Amino acid sequence: MSSTIGAELLALRKRTGTWVLFGIYAALSTLFSYLLPYLEGDGAGVPPEVLPDRIAGQVIAGFPFFGGVFALILAVLAIGSDYGWDTLKTLLTQGPGRLRVLAAKLAALAIVLVPFTLVVFATGAVASFAIAQAEGATVVWPSAWLLVRAVAAGWLILAVWAAFGVLLGVATRGTSLAIGIGILYTLVIEGLTSALADSVSFLEPVVQVFVRANAYSLVEPLGLSFEGAAGNGPGAYEGPLVDPAQALFVLIAVAAAFLGVAATLLRRRDVS
Amino acid sequence: MNDDHVIETRGLSKRYGDDLLAVDRLELRVSRGEVYGFLGPNGAGKTTTLRMLLGLVRPTSGDATVLGAPPGAPEGLARIGSMIEGPGFYPYLSGRDNLRIAARYAGAPEARIDAALDEVELGGRAGDRFGAYSQGMKQRLGVAAALLKEPELLILDEPTNGLDPAGMASMRGLIRRLGQGDRTVLLSSHLMTEIEQVCDRVGVIRGGSLVEEGTVDDLRGRARLQVRAEPLDAARRLLDAFPGVERVAVSDGSLRVATDAAAAATINRTLVEAGIAVSELHMERASLEDVFLELTREDA
Repeated sequence: MSSTIGAELLALRKRTGTWVLFGIYAALSTLFSYLLPYLEGDGAGVPPEVLPDRIAGQVIAGFPFFGGVFALILAVLAIGSDYGWDTLKTLLTQGPGRLRVLAAKLAALAIVLVPFTLVVFATGAVASFAIAQAEGATVVWPSAWLLVRAVAAGWLILAVWAAFGVLLGVATRGTSLAIGIGILYTLVIEGLTSALADSVSFLEPVVQVFVRANAYSLVEPLGLSFEGAAGNGPGAYEGPLVDPAQALFVLIAVAAAFLGVAATLLRRRDVS
Repeated sequence: MNDDHVIETRGLSKRYGDDLLAVDRLELRVSRGEVYGFLGPNGAGKTTTLRMLLGLVRPTSGDATVLGAPPGAPEGLARIGSMIEGPGFYPYLSGRDNLRIAARYAGAPEARIDAALDEVELGGRAGDRFGAYSQGMKQRLGVAAALLKEPELLILDEPTNGLDPAGMASMRGLIRRLGQGDRTVLLSSHLMTEIEQVCDRVGVIRGGSLVEEGTVDDLRGRARLQVRAEPLDAARRLLDAFPGVERVAVSDGSLRVATDAAAAATINRTLVEAGIAVSELHMERASLEDVFLELTREDA
């Protein structure tokens, strides 16, 4: 199994798209979580959320929404391209079995999401440190335990969205439609429904099973800042929050459901 | 299953929706060590059959065994090399990296990569991106991937597709080399010259069914003597009674005589001695293309 995971890591590592997604997400995270809040400060001193002690909540705020979109696109590219380039046929005819091929791809994606998460936190750390230095503020880092929980939660959120990307890639047997449906779902279905949940009461239970609602609920105890990406702009979240333990369970269950359906489709359908 | 049959299908069928019966109760047997040509026009069901043999497509009914295992079983695929409907590789990776990925999935040692590249004479360009390869190089990389496992059975689907004449000749030479020894090759094609030059035995598929099977010589049938003589009726009467002549037919103003080539000189002398003017006399044989066209005619 390790050799097949190695093969998938090679394919992901050498793909320009992987690095482009890494770079754009890290840049956008820095822009929305640090640069814009800092530049839009009201002149009464540096906004507290952009200082190093708030890094966990400030960086994680972007994961449930646009971070998820990047993970979804990465996953769609990783598996949907195999249909477009006909590489799935090449892999399957080598003999490992369909579920083993899928498992190798999932494992490689899960591994790649670790540096993906770490890079975003690292750029956030650099940005907050630079702001603190520029403003002459005291540099105080949060506890290592809080950072570890934040990174783990960030990884899980990206993994759930990636699982959705895997499902879309397998279901549509390609990339374009899968990415289109994925973005439509994240922005329109989850985004609009969450926004309307405040005023339309019967939507609230629906929103509570959405990835976004559970992802925000999971990271809220980590010091989630609604001053940045989570509270402003098109990705703003004002919907209901659920118990973090419930959120953790729902996220894992949703990811398992996505992957279960993807595995069933891959196993049963013809590769033609 | 007969131990000598590397591939055996029993009533193998594939239907897409209500309208399209791609493969219809196919009975195919490929023996160990032979180069078997799977010949058919476009859309005859060749690729669907090969995909079923590799487990990529599930049959609607019937079954098959490939190297003693059901299609798609890991134990069978581990001994099969294949290239179906063109090579499928990552365009942004080099040829070598693509083979590295295939080798890791196949459980083949890394050392096989260079050996396979050398076999298809692609070693010098192995570091180039697959997307930058010519069609011929892509096809050859596909064959290299098929060779990584040193397979007992090689399944190649239209391997010369898109190649220039030199590339086609080179690919045919490669397939002939690969088919030597105990290795079995199932070669699908719609190109007569390819099949004629490379294959020991041929199966012709039309409308999803096998309509003819045999060696190339079997399919082409016995040679016939073509005689252009005057007067034609007198020549025909004479040859009808000639010892060793099985049948005489008139076609396009000449006689087609079913007989051995060795009788040609005697027939010529007999006709001339009988006062019949012989203006043309030669052995002719149906080409594989003639046979193929006849077998795959819509109204055949």
